[in-house]
Amino acid sequence: MSRSAPLAARVLPYALLSPAVVVTLAIVFFPMLQAAWMSLHELILFRPNVMPFVWLDNFAAAFSDEVFWISLRHTGIWIGLTVPLQLLLGLATALLLNRPFWWRPLARALIIIPWALPSVVIALMWSWIYDSNYGALNDFLLRMDILQRSVPWLADPDTALYAIILTLTWQGFPFFAVMILAGLQAIPESYYEAAAIDGAGPWRQFWHITLPGIAGVLVTAILLRVIWVANSIDVIFVMTGGGPGYATYTLPLYAFLKARTNLDYGYGSALAVLFTVMLMAVVVLYLRRTARAVAQ
Amino acid sequence: MRRLMAGTILGTGMALAAWSAHAQETVRFWYHFDNPDNPMDALIADFEAAHPDIRIEAENVPWNSYYDNLYTAIVGGNAPDAAMVKLFAQPRLLEMGALEPLDDRIEAWAGKDDILDNLFELNAAPDGSRYYLPLQYVVLYLYYRTDMFAEAGLEPPATCEAFREAAIALTRDTDGDGNNDVYGFGFRGGRGGHDHWATFVLPQSNGFDGLTSEAGIAATQWVIDLHRTDGVFPPSAPNDGFQEIIGAFQSGVTAMTIHHIGSSAGMVEALGDKVSAVPVPECGGGRWTSFGDESTAILAHSEVKDAAWEWISFLSSAGANAKFNEATGQLPVTRTDSEAWTLHEQRFVKATMDSLPYAALLPNVPETSDFVNTVWPVAMQRALTGEITAEDMNAEIAALYGK
Repeated sequence: MSRSAPLAARVLPYALLSPAVVVTLAIVFFPMLQAAWMSLHELILFRPNVMPFVWLDNFAAAFSDEVFWISLRHTGIWIGLTVPLQLLLGLATALLLNRPFWWRPLARALIIIPWALPSVVIALMWSWIYDSNYGALNDFLLRMDILQRSVPWLADPDTALYAIILTLTWQGFPFFAVMILAGLQAIPESYYEAAAIDGAGPWRQFWHITLPGIAGVLVTAILLRVIWVANSIDVIFVMTGGGPGYATYTLPLYAFLKARTNLDYGYGSALAVLFTVMLMAVVVLYLRRTARAVAQ
Repeated sequence: MRRLMAGTILGTGMALAAWSAHAQETVRFWYHFDNPDNPMDALIADFEAAHPDIRIEAENVPWNSYYDNLYTAIVGGNAPDAAMVKLFAQPRLLEMGALEPLDDRIEAWAGKDDILDNLFELNAAPDGSRYYLPLQYVVLYLYYRTDMFAEAGLEPPATCEAFREAAIALTRDTDGDGNNDVYGFGFRGGRGGHDHWATFVLPQSNGFDGLTSEAGIAATQWVIDLHRTDGVFPPSAPNDGFQEIIGAFQSGVTAMTIHHIGSSAGMVEALGDKVSAVPVPECGGGRWTSFGDESTAILAHSEVKDAAWEWISFLSSAGANAKFNEATGQLPVTRTDSEAWTLHEQRFVKATMDSLPYAALLPNVPETSDFVNTVWPVAMQRALTGEITAEDMNAEIAALYGK
């Protein structure tokens, strides 16, 4: 009895965890391994009986594939612009919402709307805003005399990607706003009072109190958002499907189109695996932070 | 003993229940339908009333991912028993071993002789067998705005040259703000627009064989110039799909576009007698337009093939076929329904019939799926936006087909 009690105590946490672990293994890790396995094969879905093992041929093909490099460059722009823009807009919103005004509760509820809307609705809505024949954006800019003729925002390869980035910025900034607002409210008011007595102006208060106070929240939110934005294809898929040409291809979208539309699961998986490896750096950073937070 | 008897009775009851469950077979059917006025429930009710032992489970799968879903379901072992299918998908489905030959069933079918001439021949597979049962058809033609043409003193174009001249004349600034707000032609640069390009290019390039010839490249260049030099397409043309070209035409943004009789009811509703149609123009001495087919097929893995045949042959029988096509706005495949057909205005039926002699299909090979879904849209969009040349575009398509 004295031997079994500690054993049971040791096993119990694992037993309690196991349903979650088993489900995660089954629906996350098994498909991941399967994708890695598929990426080493030539697997065209409409020839399911022919599946030769091709070693790293798919990866070699990716590196010599023009579209891979185009997509990679777009992915860089996509993450590099969307996340900072969302962060800045979110930060500004959070600072505003942290000030007292009579309709603040309503404003806080309203700000969450873009985040709460389904991506497909957002994508369709913005497609109409950008439409070159009837779109509100062109109409507005023409009336303001900012434009001389309407611009096909989504049909011009020079503007399409940036137009979608703006859409995603609008969709994602409430996440930052809410996270940062929570961080702001955790900063004791007495810090600001003390700083004010010491003669610190608003900017120094922001730099020395606010920013350090929300730094932890910011880093976590940025890491999470980088991972989400990098993988997000739904808005692009609905708004342009990757077009015109390859103008709005990002790597995850390219992998998806290769596998789902061309039915080339071998190559599509290789693209997905490559991208996962690249994102791994961000994931490791995030996991380290979480581990440290748990340890504290 | 009593327990034994009770057991026997219970066992018999269960067997009976199992038998009756078996007796009512369920046919899973996939179709795609844009029209919100979906007649499927009514058709199923009619069918089930006549076939009490068959139950139909019909699923409306969105068109944009219809084939993605169908192929994946076939490989995943979860495909329906029967499905609506187009000819371009036939080679790929055959390669997957997914289609059930229908020759014997068609031969034994009473409705066979009521199907319009040539439709079985058009739908036959390269191996000579028949896997598809015709369901509806359309032929692409040129829609034009009669009022805009009359105002400009133009006739509907019969040749590519006349087409370009008309398109240029009709592209104009009607409200005097210095910007064009009406465009000559609504070109479909997104998925599904290959028919527009093919109409202008294939007659001049000797089909897909001569795409890389001088004449083939010049023909594609001519299409690109319509957009980049003449500016007769709306600026959004590279991304435009079905909704956009139809919407632009109905709202008066474009003066011409290419589509089929399936959209004529909506056109008349929006424009009344200001819209009419003619066959697509003749380019370089030849004409090409797309024969738009839709058939049904039985999937090879199905365990209820007889029941599935009952259902699909019902859909292609007089009466049911008319009801189906009244909702899709396309044309029925049975003689009986065709003769009694009054749904469409005569001018659109005439344009369709006049186009039939040179209506053609894309090559009946597996590569056509990739041509339609990715290769053509990407190449056309890049060519329209100046990223690649006409020569590059034609070379990409020729390479796909191994020409």
